[in-house]
Amino acid sequence: MLSNIHCPTVRIGKRSIIVFPYWISLLIIGILFGLVGAFTVLRDGLQVTGLSNAIPWGLWISIDLSAIAMGGSAFVFGVIVYILRIKRFEVIGKLAVLLGFLGYSTAGMVLLFDLGQPLRFWHPVVFWQPHSLLWEVTMCVVLYLSVLMAEVLPIVLEHPVFHMHPWLTRFSILGGLVKFVHKVSHWLHSASPILAVAGLTLSLLHQASLGATYSVLAGRGIWFNQSAPVQFVFSAMSGGIALLFLSSVFVFRVMRPGQVSDEALLDVARIAGGITLLLTYLRVWDWAVTNYYSFNRTIALQTEMLDTISPYTLTFWLGQALLPIIAGSILLAAKKVNFRLLMVVSFFPIIAAILTRWNYNFAGLIASISYDPFTPNIILNSYTPTWVEFSVATLVLSYWLLMFSLAARYLPFQSMKEHH
Amino acid sequence: MNDKNETPSEQGEQKIARRDLLKVGGALLGAAGLAQFFSLNSLAVRSKSDSHEAAGPKWGMLIDINKCIGCNYCTYACQAINNLADDMLYNVVTTETTQSGEEYFLSRPCMQCEEAPCVHVCPVGATYYRPDGIVAMDYTLCIGCRYCQVACPYSARVFNWRDPLGTTSKAPDFGLQEIENRPRGVVEKCHFCSHRIDYGVERGLVPGVDALATPACVVACPTGARVFGDLNDATSPISMAQVDASVTLRLREDLSTEPRVYYVSPVAESQAPFIQNVEG
Repeated sequence: MLSNIHCPTVRIGKRSIIVFPYWISLLIIGILFGLVGAFTVLRDGLQVTGLSNAIPWGLWISIDLSAIAMGGSAFVFGVIVYILRIKRFEVIGKLAVLLGFLGYSTAGMVLLFDLGQPLRFWHPVVFWQPHSLLWEVTMCVVLYLSVLMAEVLPIVLEHPVFHMHPWLTRFSILGGLVKFVHKVSHWLHSASPILAVAGLTLSLLHQASLGATYSVLAGRGIWFNQSAPVQFVFSAMSGGIALLFLSSVFVFRVMRPGQVSDEALLDVARIAGGITLLLTYLRVWDWAVTNYYSFNRTIALQTEMLDTISPYTLTFWLGQALLPIIAGSILLAAKKVNFRLLMVVSFFPIIAAILTRWNYNFAGLIASISYDPFTPNIILNSYTPTWVEFSVATLVLSYWLLMFSLAARYLPFQSMKEHH
Repeated sequence: MNDKNETPSEQGEQKIARRDLLKVGGALLGAAGLAQFFSLNSLAVRSKSDSHEAAGPKWGMLIDINKCIGCNYCTYACQAINNLADDMLYNVVTTETTQSGEEYFLSRPCMQCEEAPCVHVCPVGATYYRPDGIVAMDYTLCIGCRYCQVACPYSARVFNWRDPLGTTSKAPDFGLQEIENRPRGVVEKCHFCSHRIDYGVERGLVPGVDALATPACVVACPTGARVFGDLNDATSPISMAQVDASVTLRLREDLSTEPRVYYVSPVAESQAPFIQNVEG
């Protein structure tokens, strides 16, 4: 079964080299470099970062928001596969669950380093403050990560090593353990519709409240926005499903030809395209609402000031409006002829989702309003991440890519029962 | 998809595919509706401070901008009492201008808001209202997420980036340390010297009148620009000063945070300001 997996190769002269081992080595180097930064920040605290009292949330929070957005396909396909029971997405649904798990575990990991007191990460679970959006986000992430683990376990257990490895018979304790895990996994699998509903509720709740985390803060003008929660949900769906399309073409069409029909893959592209167009429609309305119907001089000034130091408005019109409209239209009208074009185009919704969150996080912090009563003005704060921040960023990105690569290379995405 | 030569069975499959897509679309719309509903609910529910109902004193501060000479003694006393590094100030004095362009000193402690954004957002309840209205911190609960810093419109919160100082440069000239050191990695804030208030009230002293029961910044002020006391008591120094003052204002009143720190406007300004006059 595993011999059916085609690994990407690079042709140098007459020899064709399998990229996999080199790619994995590169990722392991990335993780080692990242561990140095992780150790530094845990030992010395957040003083080693470029964060300040003016900009307390930086690169790591942006990565956290983006990683969660990249897991946005899990709840959509959980519903499609386990509740609507659309059979042809079953295999793609497994990949979606895996992407969800990777996104959320990456986010959890980077948040751990971002806490001033990392050892108190469990406090929100015990000391409840239900009025805080961050409390809700934390609880949902913790619970949803558990749901995703329960959904990922059966997929990982499909690997033949858990069924026919000689050690399982040679060491009875190992065999017993695996049998027990299989039993748990079987039980989890039969509970998958419940898990899907739980996953949908939890992830919708907190994808929305991630936006609300920022948008309830009246003191930060540019963030104070009613549509942010909905935008965060849709941008996670559009970026997440675009990523799912990209990776499932790679994992199934390139590496496991024949396992998923092209039509099912194209449907994923169409869903991604449709949601991208819907999101862009909402984004443009939101722009009109804040800039035309409820024009606010403070917000306009904040935007103006941001434009003097960054391509803030340009990234909106180009990255979050124009390119997603083009990409969404192409994906919605996806046809069999050109998978390569579709793969390239599916990068744009992903970039748009990351850009939305990136801009959201930094806009309100960098251009903030002073509190003096007679002549308040906009203060521009500056922030440059240090090597430690880039190092931890490398750590979590390498972790994501490593886990994805190992899954793409080794997981069968096909249950033993179906196979026999 | 639009190929002319489809077999009937293929068309049937496509119909099913279309129905599937409709199903997915319907589910997505429903989901979006749910998300909207939940997020609006979370926006609508805001915790009300318990302090509204509780009887008893409500501590407040009044700062007369006309009397402030910008000497920074309030900041220094605060540093000494709380053992603060020079870049970790609970209280800051800045030079600002009035609309007519005159410079004045704006001294800013924590506003001890009645509807404090930092209390609303704290995910673990480490920031809370004391019954007397002071917004206090439980440093053993704080996880250092810094959401309160992001939420505070007055930049009144400081993160403890480093290990605590041995001794601040402002001790012993401006006082001795009275508050124990906080661990690295928590967010700190001005607490109206609540330890002094508790100490004084226990012994029958009157905060705002007796120095031992009054915040260090108020005691240290050489010009008497800062007045402290119980806002609920008509005979307290702050209530009397409020009556005397022609115009009092609070910072960022447009945000409805209801600060308990009042300012006496500079003489040149006859009316309370509005945020609409933002100048870039």
